[in-house]
Amino acid sequence: MLLREVEYARPATVEEAITLLSEHDGARALAGGQTLVNVMKARAASPDVLVDLADLTELRTISFSADQSALEIGAMVTNTMVISSSEVEVARPILAEVAATIADVQIRNRGTVGGNVCVNDPTNHYPPLLAALGATFTIRSTSGERTASAEEFFVGVYVTAVSEGELLTKISVPTRKPGTGDAMAGITLGAHGTYVASAVATVSSEGVRVALGCVSSVPVRAMVMEERLAGGDLSEAAVRAAAEGLAASLDPPSDVHANAEYRGHLAEVSAVRAVLQAAERAKG
Amino acid sequence: MEINGTSYERDVPASLLLVHFLRDDLDLTGTHVGCDTGSCGACTVQLGDEAIKSCCMLAVQADGASITTVEGLASDEGELTPLQQSFHEYHALQCGYCTPGMLMSATALLEKNPRPSEHEVKVALQGNICRCTGYWNIIEAVVAVGEKGTR
Amino acid sequence: MTAIETEAGTLQKGSAVGQSVPRKEDGRLVQGQGVFFDDVKRKDMGYLHFVRSPYAHATIESIDVSAALEMPGVYGTLTGDEVAILTDPFFQIAAPPGGHVKDYALAVGKVRYLGEPVVAVVAETRELARTAAEYVMVEYEPLDVLVDARAALADGAPVLHEECGGNLSYSGVWEWGDVDAAFAEADHVVSIGELHFDRFNSTPLECGGALVEYNRGTGQWTMYTNNQFPGFAAIMMGPAMRVGLDKLRIVTQDIGGGFGNKITSHPQLVVCCLLARKLKRAIQWTEWRTEFHQSMSHGNERWFENTEVAVKADGTLLGFRTKAIDDAGAYLRYEPLGGVIWSQVAAGMYKWRNIWLEFTQAMTNKAPVSPNRGYSRMQQLWFTERVIDIVAQTLDFDAVEIRRLNFVQPEDMAYETPNGCVYDSGDYPRAMDMALELIGASDIETRRAEAASRGKLLGLGIGSTLDSGTNNFGQSQLINPELQFSGNNEVATVKLDIFGEVVVTLGTTPQGQGHETTAAQVVADILHCDVDVVNVRVGHDSYWNSHAGFSGTYASQFAVTGLSAVKGAADMLAGQMVKLASMVFQCPEEAIELADGFARIKDNHEAALPFMALGAIPNANNAGFPDDPPTMNCRYVYRPPFDVPDKERKFGNLTLTYATQIHACVVEIDPETGVTEVVDYAAVDDCGVRINPQIVEGQVMGATAHAIGAALWESFVYDEDGNLLTPNFYDYHVPHALDMPPLKTGAFESPSPFTPLGTKGMGEGGGGGIHCICSGIQDALRAAGGAIVTDSHNPYHRVWEMLSHPERSRETIEVTSR
Repeated sequence: MLLREVEYARPATVEEAITLLSEHDGARALAGGQTLVNVMKARAASPDVLVDLADLTELRTISFSADQSALEIGAMVTNTMVISSSEVEVARPILAEVAATIADVQIRNRGTVGGNVCVNDPTNHYPPLLAALGATFTIRSTSGERTASAEEFFVGVYVTAVSEGELLTKISVPTRKPGTGDAMAGITLGAHGTYVASAVATVSSEGVRVALGCVSSVPVRAMVMEERLAGGDLSEAAVRAAAEGLAASLDPPSDVHANAEYRGHLAEVSAVRAVLQAAERAKG
Repeated sequence: MEINGTSYERDVPASLLLVHFLRDDLDLTGTHVGCDTGSCGACTVQLGDEAIKSCCMLAVQADGASITTVEGLASDEGELTPLQQSFHEYHALQCGYCTPGMLMSATALLEKNPRPSEHEVKVALQGNICRCTGYWNIIEAVVAVGEKGTR
Repeated sequence: MTAIETEAGTLQKGSAVGQSVPRKEDGRLVQGQGVFFDDVKRKDMGYLHFVRSPYAHATIESIDVSAALEMPGVYGTLTGDEVAILTDPFFQIAAPPGGHVKDYALAVGKVRYLGEPVVAVVAETRELARTAAEYVMVEYEPLDVLVDARAALADGAPVLHEECGGNLSYSGVWEWGDVDAAFAEADHVVSIGELHFDRFNSTPLECGGALVEYNRGTGQWTMYTNNQFPGFAAIMMGPAMRVGLDKLRIVTQDIGGGFGNKITSHPQLVVCCLLARKLKRAIQWTEWRTEFHQSMSHGNERWFENTEVAVKADGTLLGFRTKAIDDAGAYLRYEPLGGVIWSQVAAGMYKWRNIWLEFTQAMTNKAPVSPNRGYSRMQQLWFTERVIDIVAQTLDFDAVEIRRLNFVQPEDMAYETPNGCVYDSGDYPRAMDMALELIGASDIETRRAEAASRGKLLGLGIGSTLDSGTNNFGQSQLINPELQFSGNNEVATVKLDIFGEVVVTLGTTPQGQGHETTAAQVVADILHCDVDVVNVRVGHDSYWNSHAGFSGTYASQFAVTGLSAVKGAADMLAGQMVKLASMVFQCPEEAIELADGFARIKDNHEAALPFMALGAIPNANNAGFPDDPPTMNCRYVYRPPFDVPDKERKFGNLTLTYATQIHACVVEIDPETGVTEVVDYAAVDDCGVRINPQIVEGQVMGATAHAIGAALWESFVYDEDGNLLTPNFYDYHVPHALDMPPLKTGAFESPSPFTPLGTKGMGEGGGGGIHCICSGIQDALRAAGGAIVTDSHNPYHRVWEMLSHPERSRETIEVTSR
């Protein structure tokens, strides 16, 4: 509960925030704080300076890209905002559906999309979701702006493409085209609890994408399964056949809730269920 | 910041959690601590109109904010809100340690959704652990307030 | 008005007793105006933080506190070496070998579990105390670690307490009836290789803590704390600190849940006391959740090895043999009492007459155990329930019918068990029928088929359980004949103050059980006044509340000990009020009655004295009476009727009352993942006369939630190095609102013939839900390989293992038939 001493700054603009982050070694961006503050309570991390992003209103918007092809979610958008967003409802409702199962109301009220992905805890909801949806991540620094794909963005637990002095500003999620279905499946510890295994699938005319959570330090795409399903047969038998061997191809961690073998098995089951549900939704 | 309608100005270290500021600096001890991981919700307060966990927020982050704690629910004369009264009638508390957090989560729910269903109440209380009651009396107490159309 | 006949007399259920009177406690608690220990503050108090061992087993080579002491704002430290000089080891309940354990308030020379307090640091702020604790340098030399009690007695096992010559704390053979004859008579003998009751606790939402002041003038400490058994804490602390008990004032107001887990905080309280004296300032100690999980009061983990059950062809259970191995953790803070407490329910609700049980308790490098809701009985009850279900499945008996056949029957009451315990009253078949009806058992096959159509395995579970309450502490002599404890007692005072207020004090330390309310209900009915008129003092103060040796709130007994004391004192006061009225009206006492808040002449209601007059006369207006008017200040100590058990035969009545709970549930298992969900639940309670049915139901529902958690999610899991893998609510998942199944409750009353109010202790619930869910899981798995449930804790991965390899558990069961 008891934090080490820390400096605190609450910049008014993104530029100011980036300057603060780049000027101080050991500076850390504070978004919703629903993970970071807990990590600091455990003294597992003790940044010297917290740069609170709360006043950066430009990071708290949900809008569409100029060509309408992507939903642009500011890094400081909270889960509660995602859940109630009419843009999300129209363009990619899976985001709201998943957000509504993250932890609990209080944490959803404070916790942000940007914070969730930057933490990149393997049990988090957004990393596999955004990997499956093919999101891109916009990162700003004093030297300008760059984008990263999900594959590039997620590097390890607590490690992302956002390096020191940089700030994740927004996440762009392709809008759903007709005939697209998205679904997330998995096993949690109790309702809305921590994921033990998770999988997200998106099914569209372009094929099937499957991303797994909890099995590695980064979301893992089930590429073989995706390729086997490229033919378009999404019957239960076909999906189960496509998933065959998925568990064996993984090297998941063991912990108190699941050993590697069981977690791999759950990942495979989750992948099957996510694809089947996504296929069902793709039918409209 | 403004707490229960009163303005407070204090210099505090940035490392101070909001819950410690409320309890130790302002002596608003109705807000409790039941874990050290943001899991239990005993520290729930309202920030503006939203329920939040005051152990997952620094006091300095609440600078300029408006906060309601359990002490801000009943009138100064001790007149209970309908929700507090309903907790009493439905035996929705035993040791009473989780109760302030439960009340704050439920109050925030009822402000947004005056007639919540049983499931909506469960969802709203999912971030609040109770180790005494088994939850059902709490859920029923909140649903009953909605059914009566009063908060 | 209903009259309840008991052998002890007739209780008139009046306007208050038997009603769901909303609780007196609630008003302050819903306004955040309760006073919990952490709400008590003193000027310039110092915050205490413990330096805890990062090793499960290690010698302490050196401790250097100098860097911490140099930090501005650090007030001081306390080390194990100082504790060893300033105090004596805590009294041990155990006879040798466990009796040789040297247990101090801080680790001395050696640490024996991860999280054990090694040094205490006190500073100006909570945050600084923790930071300074990081600057305390402790050098450890790690030792081999022992985390499995089954391996504790093997040659070459690491030894925790060298002075004990091994890891054994207690062992004994308990045998009743003619076991060999029972097995000779049996048509079938069912052998069960190993059953395991898991380690968990009730995790009250408020962790431990205290605000401790030392009065240098009187030499007295005052502890504002949430210890739930101050009488026990005091007898542990006083001798260790070499002071009389009157120097230890223990005060509680509100306690944020206890469930037994707050009985053994005396070591930490000693540290606070020593520091309050040393540093000449109030000491504030707050335990945080991770610390609680690592170090406070785990429940007893227990194995049952090589069980054999003697069964007749018709399903009659004749007897059993088993070897229980109990894991006490690193120190014996309340142990080895668990080594006898189980025998209150040795045969559960069944008519087993022949029992052989070898009980062995070992110490391991895990957190010390201490009482946890259902303490030591739920392990035994779970064992009896597992045995029944395993016998039923193995020999193809119906799980309901084999219970019905073997239950102690209502006409057997009062029933003496093979070991001399007396089940006071009850109707177990009726309770089971009620539970089965509530859960809709008659439609279970339809539901099973419907679930199968969704790809789910569905099972019906039953958990039969006893809540034995009001301990005869004489049972402690069965594990250590030298102990000088027996019987039980509780105290209450009831007085009439000068303006006619009725004021009640209790010896108890409630943690949510509603004692203020139920005590007021009893008093109101006896004095014929309104419940609101009765003012029950909040909390406990050992200096001012009258208390008895066993005062406290533990072991399902308030409705018997506490309320019987209240009744006794209220009866005395009623008698005094009548007497005073007869003196005033100069008439015989028989002519006076108490009614509607008055003492009046039965035949002339105009001749009436209000409570105010009755209070004022002896207190403030007492001249002119030829004889002393009664004092209107009554103290009553209730002493339940007990004998000292027979130490040779391990025979005698160990508890006064036995409340019944039967739980029934429906579980669904996803065969692909092992994910198990309780989809429907019913619990029936018979605890004799219910003073406040709503409070009783609340206890049943709370115990059910604990059991669901323990059955599916809650477990203190250690790795082989003694690291606790579930130290917080992330990994130790307790049920939340969305996790609770629909919950139906039922109740009826079989009054206890042995208690003044016909009440029975209740609240712990005997772990009924754990038995019930294990039973439901085994039933569901019958359609998928028929695995046997051998563990009390069945998380998804264990269920999946049972689905994947049902033969593994089945192979541990053998049947020999003749």
